Amino acid sequence: MPVDGNGRLPSATTPVRRVLALGGHEFSSRPADRAVCELLLRLASEHGGKRPRICILPTASGDTSEQISSFYAAFGERPCEPSDVSLFRLGRRPLALRDHLLAQHLIYVGGGSLVNLLAVWEAHDVASILSLAWRQGIVLAGQSAGAMCWFEAGITKSSGKPRPAAGLALLHGSLCVHYNNEPERRAAYLDAVGDGMPSGYGLDDYAGLLWEGEGTPSALTARRGARAYRVTSQEGEVTESALPARFLPAPAPAALREDIAEFRRIKTMRRRAGWLG
Amino acid sequence: MKTAARQIVAFGGGGFSMESGNPLLDDYVLGLTKAERPRVCFLPSASGDADHYVVRFYRAFAAHRCEASHISLFRREQGPADLRRHLLSQDLIYVGGGSVVSLLGVWRAHGIDAILREAWEAGVILCGLSAGSLCWFEEAVSGFHGEPQRLHGLGLLPFSNCVHYERGSARCEAYRRFLREGMCGGYAAEDGAALHFTGEELSRVVASRPQARGYRLDVAGGRVVEMQIATAFLGDRPPSPVAPLPEALSTALAPAA
Repeated sequence: MPVDGNGRLPSATTPVRRVLALGGHEFSSRPADRAVCELLLRLASEHGGKRPRICILPTASGDTSEQISSFYAAFGERPCEPSDVSLFRLGRRPLALRDHLLAQHLIYVGGGSLVNLLAVWEAHDVASILSLAWRQGIVLAGQSAGAMCWFEAGITKSSGKPRPAAGLALLHGSLCVHYNNEPERRAAYLDAVGDGMPSGYGLDDYAGLLWEGEGTPSALTARRGARAYRVTSQEGEVTESALPARFLPAPAPAALREDIAEFRRIKTMRRRAGWLG
Repeated sequence: MKTAARQIVAFGGGGFSMESGNPLLDDYVLGLTKAERPRVCFLPSASGDADHYVVRFYRAFAAHRCEASHISLFRREQGPADLRRHLLSQDLIYVGGGSVVSLLGVWRAHGIDAILREAWEAGVILCGLSAGSLCWFEEAVSGFHGEPQRLHGLGLLPFSNCVHYERGSARCEAYRRFLREGMCGGYAAEDGAALHFTGEELSRVVASRPQARGYRLDVAGGRVVEMQIATAFLGDRPPSPVAPLPEALSTALAPAA
């Protein structure tokens, strides 16, 4: 049977469904943020090759220029094709929503209001496109509201105080983000799970969970001390247990990467010229 | 108990969002409140609560002439906790432009749709431009993204609505087509024109530009009938008394045959 370049069987098999849920991060140049971006890039490259297409959906923030520009600042100079779908700005920048999203290798959903995110997606019929993207093997990723949206439920501060809200339910169970960073959110989550919200996970800022196909996710952390937790309930008794996580090292910062590349070029030239033996 | 008149002022386009330096439409809606220092709340939901838009609102609705506030549904933690109480205590609710589809989605998620109906019935004046105009009607023509689309608004006014109604535009053509395809009859307004409804009746059309007009559109025998409505310019010219609307423009429901 023919196998494609990635070693997958074409069409005959279902693509692996992948979701990366992140408890919280930014697109800054700090080491932990660079580690998260590197992971996103690597996941996108698995099917997207050398220049994967990565698209941000900044809907939950109301499509703030802040979120969009920090995304481009993080990915603009990297080997990928970054783009954004700003549903509030489509008037000035029309695009074929469905075609554009389904052409991506990774769709990243930014943080903000979970309630608004789902409401606007529903109004624009984006949820069904994302579900299809997931089934086609496009990586779905996001932080904060952009992570909880894939689950059956999450804890949102969309109305001020933390309270439970439903998600798209592509993944079973629930998720609470900014877990130990916002104690009132964690408390609301533990209460909710005790009261019958489906069991799930808590994610500190810079902790993540990666689903690759069915089964249990693998936990990741980009900052020492940032953890992923399994939160379950049995007869109203809530148990929280930290999951063993793989540490994501930060790649060299952009400026240094250029210096390294330059150094390698010079080394090669010298070698060719016979200067380095 | 005497109930206050229900009023909606639907701008085709204009006010501080589009006509910097021309405050005529904004002055008009403020004047309708009859309050010395009206309480005005801005809803920028259709723009995704864009910061620059909120800043422009506060600049236009300065503290010396009104008590301005805004509700950002994307940053609920910063605004009034009780949305209903806040909105019902206003003299004027001003809805900004942007994506009407997103606007309606977010409003429903926060229960704003029901609160606005309640506010309207309690006599709070509702106004807005573009998406903030379309939202009040039963049906609307949205040209925000790609091909103009037909959609349902909050339905406070039992008509259809088309904003930025410029001759020969895709929006204009689409509105006529939708009407032929069964969209309910309604009103269109050019940029600078505003449709002022009292209850469900159009009471007058005012304009911030001398040439801007409002229109009534209906279908009769498969043909679209467009009628230009006498429009009062709000500018410097001596105010001409606005003639009562001709009988043909009455929006009252025809008695059942």
